[in-house]
Amino acid sequence: MTEGSTATAAKPFKILIVDDSATMRALLRRVVQLTEMPVEQIYEARNGKEALKILDADSVHAVFTDINMPVMGGHELLREMAKQEKWKDVLRIVISTDGSKLRRDEARELNVSLYVEKPFRPEVVRDVLVQITSPA
Amino acid sequence: MSSSKSQAPPDAGTSLREAFVDVCENSFFAYVENCDGRRFAQLAEQTSQAATPGRTSEWLKSAVGFNGAFAGSIEVILPEQLARWLFASLLGEPPEDELPEHQVFDGLGEFANMICGAWLTNLQQRQSFELRAPAVTRMAPNWTPMADSSWNDERGHRLAVNELPVRLRFRALNG
Repeated sequence: MTEGSTATAAKPFKILIVDDSATMRALLRRVVQLTEMPVEQIYEARNGKEALKILDADSVHAVFTDINMPVMGGHELLREMAKQEKWKDVLRIVISTDGSKLRRDEARELNVSLYVEKPFRPEVVRDVLVQITSPA
Repeated sequence: MSSSKSQAPPDAGTSLREAFVDVCENSFFAYVENCDGRRFAQLAEQTSQAATPGRTSEWLKSAVGFNGAFAGSIEVILPEQLARWLFASLLGEPPEDELPEHQVFDGLGEFANMICGAWLTNLQQRQSFELRAPAVTRMAPNWTPMADSSWNDERGHRLAVNELPVRLRFRALNG
């Protein structure tokens, strides 16, 4: 769990990182921590199935997900999320090595707010977190 | 006779090298240089000498298979010392920290995954590829890149990353 430390009035939020690579999960966690945004909690899941369990158990504000994963991939996770009204406001961010137009179009149809290609620049993650904390 | 798969584009080899440089320099903050045969042999020899004789090989291989407009795999072979440095650099950890082997393997798999993804996206913007999970293995104890003739084709690159030797290539399924 990561405690936020900024003095801003922004409400702390929770994020979920879904990737089968421990390296990528650690990298994303580190990037999030470096932003010094008011993150209350960072959850990690190795695949879509684990992610759905976490989403069921707690309210999460943003999901960063890979696409190619064993057990349950990112597309299936996003399709499951789309079926549930309670998750309609969760921000969906795909982080994938596959930057093709086809994959981007598929993601757009599944309410993905941002499609980030690996390797990615840390500023991209910060911009997403700013979006979460900014008033609508 | 027909095949649903195309052959790899003629510039695939050059493009793979460019993707490798992009990933190394922008995500891992590592410096890449081309090596001629002599320079590469020198670096490879230094790597083999630094390894403990009779113990496990210093050389690690990460391979990622793919399927799409054309099919094949990419392979990266490098010394464990470099794999550890790259992993530490990515995560902002001190390189001298003793990381467990499974973490180094996971990091090296992700390294090859990023290279393969960047390469295929640059080559075929409009088409999607299915990438398989990376396979990371340690080479046989006495293996050296100089003694392995399977690496002597035109699609293989001899490179140095932070002055440590790296072999990079792709193998197309349809030639």
